[in-house]
Amino acid sequence: MLTDFGIILLFIIAGFALLGVVLGVGRLLRPDNPNPEKNSTYESGEDPVGNANVQFNVRFYVVALIFVLFEVELVFLFPWAVVFGREDLIAQTEGRWGWFALAEMTVFVGILALGLAYAWAKGYLDWVKPKPHVSQFDSPVPSELYEQLNERYAGKAGKGMEEKSNQLP
Amino acid sequence: MQEPSIPDIIQLIPLKSYLILSTALFVIGILGVLIRRNAIVIFMSVELMLNSVNLLLIAFSSYKSDPSAQVFVFFIMAVAAAEVAVGLAIIVMIYRNTRTIDIGFLNKLKG
Amino acid sequence: MYPIILLSFLGIVVLFLGFAKSKAILLPATLLFLAVALVGNFVEWNQGTIIYFYNMLAVNNLTLAFNGIVLVSAFMIVAMTRGFQDDDEAQPAEYYAIMLFSLVGAFMMIGFENLIMLFLGLEILSVAMYVLTGSDKRNLRSNEAALKYFLMGAFATGILLFGIALLYGATGSFTLTGIQAYIGQGNPSYLLYGGLLLVLIGMLFKVSAAPFHFWTPDVYEGAPTIFTAFMATIVKTAGFAALFRLLSHSFTGIYDYWWITLAVITVLTLLVGNIIAVYQDSFKRMLAYSSISHAGYLLIALTAMTPQTENSILFYSMAYSVATICAFGVLIPLAREKAMTGKPRETYEAFNGLARNNPLLAFVLTVSMLSLAGIPLTAGFWGKFFVFGSAAERGIIWLLVVAILMSAVGIYYYFRVIMAAYMKEGDTAEIRVAPFYKIVLVTATIITLLFGIAPGLFTGLV
Repeated sequence: MLTDFGIILLFIIAGFALLGVVLGVGRLLRPDNPNPEKNSTYESGEDPVGNANVQFNVRFYVVALIFVLFEVELVFLFPWAVVFGREDLIAQTEGRWGWFALAEMTVFVGILALGLAYAWAKGYLDWVKPKPHVSQFDSPVPSELYEQLNERYAGKAGKGMEEKSNQLP
Repeated sequence: MQEPSIPDIIQLIPLKSYLILSTALFVIGILGVLIRRNAIVIFMSVELMLNSVNLLLIAFSSYKSDPSAQVFVFFIMAVAAAEVAVGLAIIVMIYRNTRTIDIGFLNKLKG
Repeated sequence: MYPIILLSFLGIVVLFLGFAKSKAILLPATLLFLAVALVGNFVEWNQGTIIYFYNMLAVNNLTLAFNGIVLVSAFMIVAMTRGFQDDDEAQPAEYYAIMLFSLVGAFMMIGFENLIMLFLGLEILSVAMYVLTGSDKRNLRSNEAALKYFLMGAFATGILLFGIALLYGATGSFTLTGIQAYIGQGNPSYLLYGGLLLVLIGMLFKVSAAPFHFWTPDVYEGAPTIFTAFMATIVKTAGFAALFRLLSHSFTGIYDYWWITLAVITVLTLLVGNIIAVYQDSFKRMLAYSSISHAGYLLIALTAMTPQTENSILFYSMAYSVATICAFGVLIPLAREKAMTGKPRETYEAFNGLARNNPLLAFVLTVSMLSLAGIPLTAGFWGKFFVFGSAAERGIIWLLVVAILMSAVGIYYYFRVIMAAYMKEGDTAEIRVAPFYKIVLVTATIITLLFGIAPGLFTGLV
């Protein structure tokens, strides 16, 4: 007689067995002649560039840290919500229970909000735009001509340019 | 037929199994801290230790029909998040200065 | 209980004061807030034991006295932080706020009645310390110290928590009285012993007792000196108050089981702390090992666990904190003035000729070293006297012999500093010390001498 967990174990074993069988059969049947082209990483037809372990911009970490903190504090709202709505407790205290619980949670959330306000005022929530690189090249062509050119092609080229500037570190 | 409550489901497995499982997880965490050299992996091992404690507390809690351990678990989770934030900040700070998080490179202080 | 609420709130206020144009307001504001908390602390003096928040926290004269020591130490340390104003890299608002928050953790550890509070207090204190240790962001030594402290601290927390979980599994309760009642029934489960052992290991990690001390020298050396002083005094005082509370309130019923373990750890701590301290060249590192050895002396009192233990731990923490603050307080201006190639100089040679350059600093240093060594007429002597007295009362003579031998070793390395200051010739660079700074150092020295001459003034209080 199998218990519920026994069935799960059987399922897991069957899963692994099937995987092994499929891979084994594939290995036996398929032709095996690799070349560098085939072994390279699949990047939708592009040549892969650089390592997959590139460093993310540090901004992501700062936002992630702030997120982690505020996200987990939410865990305290669940047990609070369970007792907040208890009708018998509210009836016993003639309604004071609800207000008391609400006030307590307001203090808690208020302190968290203060923390968020602090992070905001310090500027940790601002998404710093990368500064465009201004060339110091002294061009004989007057700058108005460039601007006219930019205006004429603004509709066509603008989008591509913006994407490129976002990729700058 | 009535749905079984969560404590009943937890009690399907004997307490000793929970104790063995969480001790095993805890020991894996300790070994990770002692053996691994990458700061992030050490950090993950510490989290494993904390979560094995959570598992044990929940098992004890439902066997004793006492909710105080569940409250403790909430606090452990919240505090662990605070620790994660500080720990990751320290690791990012070190990475900025040294470009590595291998603790073997940290040997400026010698005894 | 009031200082917990006051400092939580005032810490946030300090944080937002940091947005003010002038940074000059922060230091006086923080000192004012600490004074307010000190007053709030002693409002409840002599009102017996008060239990707060459904058996979460207890307040009595002993916890209030420990709170007082912590607050006064914090006051002195904060008063010595004038340097933050001139430092562009420093972020004083955050530092002060974190220090105030960490004190909240210390109070929770000192007065905990439920193990949840012990854990929360310990974590509030530790997480704050991780941040302060790494506050010198560009300095690799500070980075490394922060990472080591963080990893070791988190590891210790994990062990402590597993111990607490096992204690709960055995007793079904997180409260000190609940655990005590369970032990009183007799025939405790094996989970209880395992839990107690793990909790002890976790706590001993935090107070840096051998063999769990290896992080201490590195962290103390790498952290900015002012925060090392904070760590060496406040974390240790709070840690021992918590350990005492845990052992004396819950586990006296199985004293025969744990005292021998603790005695072995005590001997190891004394040996490691004192003997390795002899071989140090850096003053800061020597103080780190000295703090390990003082943890050993405090552990003697815990091991003995007589009715006098609470008073001896209290007095010893006070004497040790004040003397340590003095020692670090002398080191900070000295290391700054004698900095070589931008790095503060913290070796013994930095003290050469101090008596000629600045007799006041030399005197303060001498008194603090004498107090740490336990020479009569200083508070440190009476601290050791009470601690040894409790061990003698319990009749653990071999522990006493080791402790006295190790005190003799201690005299060697403490006197090395005094010798350097008075006997050796050094460069005659003038050491400038701000007037306010001087007042703090002189006050601390007077406290050390006052309680050294009349210890009854302090022990009579509690």
